[in-house]
Amino acid sequence: MSSAPVTVNTAEIQKLDEASKRDITNFIEIESAKQKVQMSVHQFTSMCFKNCVKDGSNPELSSAENQCLNSCVNRFLDTNIKIVKGLQNIQ
Amino acid sequence: MAFSLFGGNSSNANSQQQIIQQSKNQPDPSNAGTVNEIKQQIQQDLAVANATELVNQATENCFNLCMKAPYNENLAESNQCVETCLGKYMRSWNAISQAYVQRLQNTPDV
Repeated sequence: MSSAPVTVNTAEIQKLDEASKRDITNFIEIESAKQKVQMSVHQFTSMCFKNCVKDGSNPELSSAENQCLNSCVNRFLDTNIKIVKGLQNIQ
Repeated sequence: MAFSLFGGNSSNANSQQQIIQQSKNQPDPSNAGTVNEIKQQIQQDLAVANATELVNQATENCFNLCMKAPYNENLAESNQCVETCLGKYMRSWNAISQAYVQRLQNTPDV
C-alpha cells in the first residue's frame, strides 16, 4: 500500500473503552479488506491499460479495448490461481 | 433492586456490575463522537491514499501514451492527448473494477 500519512491520533484510541476499541478494530478490518481490493484494481488498471489501450485520441473506450481490459483481469487471475496451485504441487 | 443473581444486595455492587457488563458488550455512548471522528479520519486517509495512487498511475500511463522521446512534440497536441487519456484511464479503472468485483463474486476463493 502506498505510504499515505496516517493522521489518526493513536493516543485518542488508547483512551477509549474496550467495546469502542473493538468497534474501531472491526471497522479497520472491513476497510482494509476493501482497500486491498482497491489497490488490486489500481494495479490491474495500470497493467491492463498499458497492454490494451494504444490510442489517446478518444476518451471513450472502444468495445475492443473494453473487451481487452475485461479479459486482461480474468487471464491475470487465472494465471494467479495456476501459479498458486503449481507451487502447492511442488511442496 | 430487590435482589441480584450473585446474591450481592448492595446497589453499589449492582451498578458496578452493570458498568462492567456495559463495557464488555456495548461501546460507551459518551465515546461515540470520538469513535465516529476516528472512523471518518480513517476513511479520509484511505481516500487520500487512493487519489494519490490514481494520480501516480494515470500520470505514468498517460505520459507513456502521449509523450515520446526525445520529447519535443507539439505541446498543445500532447496536452490534448493527456486530457483524453485521463478520461480513458478513469473509464478503464471502472471497467477493471467491475470485472474484478464480478470475478470475486463468482469465485470467492480468488
